[in-house]
Amino acid sequence: MAAATSGAPGPRILAVTEATRVVAALVRADDRLRDLWVEGEVGRVTISTAGHAYFAIKDDKSQLQCVWFRDDRLRSAFQPQTGLRVVVHGRMDLYEPQGALQFYIVSLQPSGVGDLAIQFEERKARLAAEGLFDAARKRPLPSRPPVIAVITSPTGAVWKDICQVIGRRWPLAGVLLVACKVQGEGSAQSIEGAFRRLERHVEELRHDGRGAAAPSVTILARGGGSMEDLWSFNDERVVRAIVGHPLPVVSGIGHEVDVTLADFAADVRAPTPSAAAELVVPNRADFAASLGRGAERMRSATGRVVADAARNVGSERRLLDRLHPAARLAASRERASDLLDRATRATRARIGDGRRAEERTAERLPAVVAQRLADGVTQLAAAGAALRSLGPQATLERGYAIVRRTADGAVVRDPADAGPGTALAVRVARGEFPAVGVVGPVAGSIGPTGAGGAG
Amino acid sequence: MTQPTDTPIDRLSFDDALGELQRAVADLETGGLPLERSIALYERGVALHERCASLLSEAELKVQQLVTRAGGAIAAIDVRPDEAVDAE
Repeated sequence: MAAATSGAPGPRILAVTEATRVVAALVRADDRLRDLWVEGEVGRVTISTAGHAYFAIKDDKSQLQCVWFRDDRLRSAFQPQTGLRVVVHGRMDLYEPQGALQFYIVSLQPSGVGDLAIQFEERKARLAAEGLFDAARKRPLPSRPPVIAVITSPTGAVWKDICQVIGRRWPLAGVLLVACKVQGEGSAQSIEGAFRRLERHVEELRHDGRGAAAPSVTILARGGGSMEDLWSFNDERVVRAIVGHPLPVVSGIGHEVDVTLADFAADVRAPTPSAAAELVVPNRADFAASLGRGAERMRSATGRVVADAARNVGSERRLLDRLHPAARLAASRERASDLLDRATRATRARIGDGRRAEERTAERLPAVVAQRLADGVTQLAAAGAALRSLGPQATLERGYAIVRRTADGAVVRDPADAGPGTALAVRVARGEFPAVGVVGPVAGSIGPTGAGGAG
Repeated sequence: MTQPTDTPIDRLSFDDALGELQRAVADLETGGLPLERSIALYERGVALHERCASLLSEAELKVQQLVTRAGGAIAAIDVRPDEAVDAE
């Protein structure tokens, strides 16, 4: 403190204000502190009621208090977040009322991305203005693609992860690797070239009438990395290759927090490569469950036909019973006994002949009836066995229930269908019991699994 | 109205089996079929369902890589996921 001594004898005692002014004057006189950039990690951020932000930036040894005034802060695209590594630009000064040395921030950027972030924003704005990222351009994905093209590097874990996810979820599909560089010098061109090769391949297959073997969706993927590592996915050539690609493109680049221009250009952006693989194919377990529901619809439709047929068989039987030869024979006998009084033997003989003829018919007919009934029973049994194999009984035995509205017999699949006071019939494995809806519709599933609940 | 085809079920592709199953369900739901026809269609439907389910559970992912042959022709060749080469 050279300024504190003035040649007077004994120590000179300063007021607090004087001392802090000396420090302030020193700090303000140093060019290095008037305009500087400092990199560090953001600590806890406090925003005052006036809108100024107060936080420390720190490294492993030191920390520095920062203040960022409202107007400068609100002009910035980036805001301080605890834990974020940032580069701040501004000046050092002493806040005299507290004697505190502070960094007065003019601007703040995420660490390491300053120049790239500016380029990114500029390019994004330009390509967006061209309409390349328009929602209207986005194409729907095929529901069950027979082949999925994957543009990525085969050397990392990404390619294997994608194969594994698709192999687990939908192994009926095929995957077609189109290898490219995903990082460093020439990688943007390499990615663009992969799109071109794939497009030629698809065109050739279609030309040869083998279009069904062609991919119908393309995944563009890369594992996580720094913004510099991912930079080729912000290349304009890559963006234009995606937009011009004839197949819908799903991007899965880096981690969830990484966003590239390729993501904006893609028809669907997945947060990671594995998520992209999950997006393009259905899950076979879910699909099998929906197949089961189709089989259940088939079962109930057939059940109705069989029930109708059973009723028809029943009424046919009653009709046949009335026409049964034994009944007719009894009538004949009555008539025969009337005739007997005055009939000659010849007449009796004729009646006897008739009786024998009718008896023969009587022997045959029940067999025909029995056979028809037996056929019906066999068919019903066969249908029943088939129905049971797919029917709800097995499901009910596992503890599920079928809830129907008493009023119209409709199966309740949505809590909204069973509002308060709705009379319900609950069918469980051993029988049925009545119930009444007591609360309004609630969200969520109550079954142990989504699939195979109410049938 | 679908006629049960003669194609043996175990030779049907997944898509063909699924398509036929969906038509069978639709026909059965439309109703109006005679009993024998309904049961025949239903039994084929059950078999189609089993075919789809078994194809789903047994299928194995087919993995290929697009390679450029000498002379510039492009071809898809079978590879194992860990065998894919970095060639463009």
